[in-house]
Amino acid sequence: MTETGIDLVKDGTAATPGTPLLDVRDLQIEFHTREGIAKAVNGVSYSVEAGETLAVLGESGSGKSVTAQAIMGILDMPPGRITGGEILFQGQDLLKMTEAQRRKIRGNKIAMIFQDALSSLNPVLSVGYQLGEMFRVHKGASRKEAKARAVELMDRVRIPAAKDRVNDYPHQFSGGMRQRIMIAMALALEPDLIIADEPTTALDVTVQAQVMDLLAELQQEYRMGLILITHDLGVVADVADRIAVMYAGRIVERGDVREIYRTPAHPYTKGLLDSIPRLDQKGSDLYAIRGLPPTLTSLPAGCSFSPRCDRAREVCVTERPLPVTVLDAEGVPVPGRSSACHFWKETLHG
Amino acid sequence: MGRYVIRRLLQMIPVFIGATFLIFLMVYALGDPVTGLFGDRAPDAATAARLRAEFNLDKPVWQQYLLYMGNIFTGDFGTAFNGRPVTELLAQAIPISFRLMLVAIVFEIVLGIVLGVVTGLRRGKAADTSVLMATLVVIAIPTFVLGTTLQFFLGVKLGWINPAVSPAAPFDELLVPGIILALVSLAYVTRLTRTSIVENARADYVRTAVAKGLPRRRVTTRHLLRNSLIPVVTYLGADIGTLMAGAIVTERIFNIQGVGYQLYEGILRQNSPTVVGFVVVLVLIFLVANLLVDLLYAVLDPRIRYA
Repeated sequence: MTETGIDLVKDGTAATPGTPLLDVRDLQIEFHTREGIAKAVNGVSYSVEAGETLAVLGESGSGKSVTAQAIMGILDMPPGRITGGEILFQGQDLLKMTEAQRRKIRGNKIAMIFQDALSSLNPVLSVGYQLGEMFRVHKGASRKEAKARAVELMDRVRIPAAKDRVNDYPHQFSGGMRQRIMIAMALALEPDLIIADEPTTALDVTVQAQVMDLLAELQQEYRMGLILITHDLGVVADVADRIAVMYAGRIVERGDVREIYRTPAHPYTKGLLDSIPRLDQKGSDLYAIRGLPPTLTSLPAGCSFSPRCDRAREVCVTERPLPVTVLDAEGVPVPGRSSACHFWKETLHG
Repeated sequence: MGRYVIRRLLQMIPVFIGATFLIFLMVYALGDPVTGLFGDRAPDAATAARLRAEFNLDKPVWQQYLLYMGNIFTGDFGTAFNGRPVTELLAQAIPISFRLMLVAIVFEIVLGIVLGVVTGLRRGKAADTSVLMATLVVIAIPTFVLGTTLQFFLGVKLGWINPAVSPAAPFDELLVPGIILALVSLAYVTRLTRTSIVENARADYVRTAVAKGLPRRRVTTRHLLRNSLIPVVTYLGADIGTLMAGAIVTERIFNIQGVGYQLYEGILRQNSPTVVGFVVVLVLIFLVANLLVDLLYAVLDPRIRYA
């Protein structure tokens, strides 16, 4: 099929104006483990528009990857189980679709980039085959056509001598090149949404920036929505439009990237930002959030962060704070900005 | 790839020499073939000396070995004491054992891998548990018990098969013996495939394949199976040699006049040229099978090809 074929598919399901590209609503996921039921995601809501980058920030076990896997439909079930919520993609609930319908969306309209490209690429198949597979399966392309498209893709993610390297295997590429191949694979069918799960964590710092820039550039070029899952605050500041900070399966703070960096409204976000090493504080102790994240099998009744929070009072232990819209210094609500802290005002303003 | 093949071929030489020398030593140095030939009766001294001279048995072992190997490379495997050349016995027995091995290995590959994949993908389900139980039973029961039982029921009671295989040993008569021969290895292939599938099913690249929107069948055959078969292929290669040589019990039960049968007869009569001749050929078969496996291994796994 040709370019027009792809366009037709896109036009046919074009979302009505005002509907976000992806709208996750009150998603709840638990895992059945030997220790009991681990509540990995406890009512997560976020949305992404076309051409926008949402960074989902959080440490390991915060539920950021699990949410992404649920969107993608690659959650291990069992032990995982989606117990509530909706995932609306272009207005349609993915969770109500049949497996066949979801398969058509995977790779085609929503694609994912994984953290470790070496283990995420099949070691025994050439990269050309793995890239071409997208066209062969989704577009019915011939073997020859698929290989030509694979070379094109490799060129587009700037892999040198793509034509000569299309038959090489993943282990013959460097880490940065491998991640470029992962990106190429995700871009193959020009999806509407890309989920990148810590795409640069496994790379050298110098390569990280290159890969991230490439991803941001291609995202702008195709006007795709991008969900960037990371714990790297530096990466977020560079490319994200909005941030959702996750902790113990909940979004504790959300808002515009600059505002959150300048004036965090949740003690956890503040702690994360304070723990970035800074040159002007050389010599003094590096700040670290004390304690460990809670076990997901026995979450505290109140605020999940309260055992580690310097601001915690009585109410934090007994009552779970709900997300509230954050007001600026003049008392005007800041659009799209919320914090799930009883003391957001104190955190924000002083 | 070419250098890899050459290196593997060179490695075969010391293995071949070592293995054949050990066999030669055991058969010729640790027993007296001439006494064995006469059975219970004491041999006549003059005849014994003549036989010893004829078969070079009066020379030191290392000389005997060199003479023997020299002969082998000119195609002379010696003469069995009954006067027939060993090559004639080999030419008769090897095709029969090869057919039997072929039947067995096809069963192992087809049934073993299919069962392994099915159980691996349905881990913990009823099908998985029952197949696992069955493999345990098969591994636990000795071949001669299963063999004779099947022979009795299918051959004698039901009359579906001929209890004894005719000397020509055509494929259809070798079906049941082939299954008996394959059973234990079949159980191992099933378990090995199952474990490998279970392990690889959790691999990141399988998750990637699913995330690409590939159909389930394609994820399994193109991505999961190819990686999971690497250890199974190794096992199967080693098993070809074992099946050729280890068919002694099966060949005895069904009276198949293959390699195992001839070896058994040779050992029983202390017929040294027969025993050594057959073992040398078996060592060669084993080495070639392993070489083929290593090459197949390189085809399956590009990381080895370019190492």
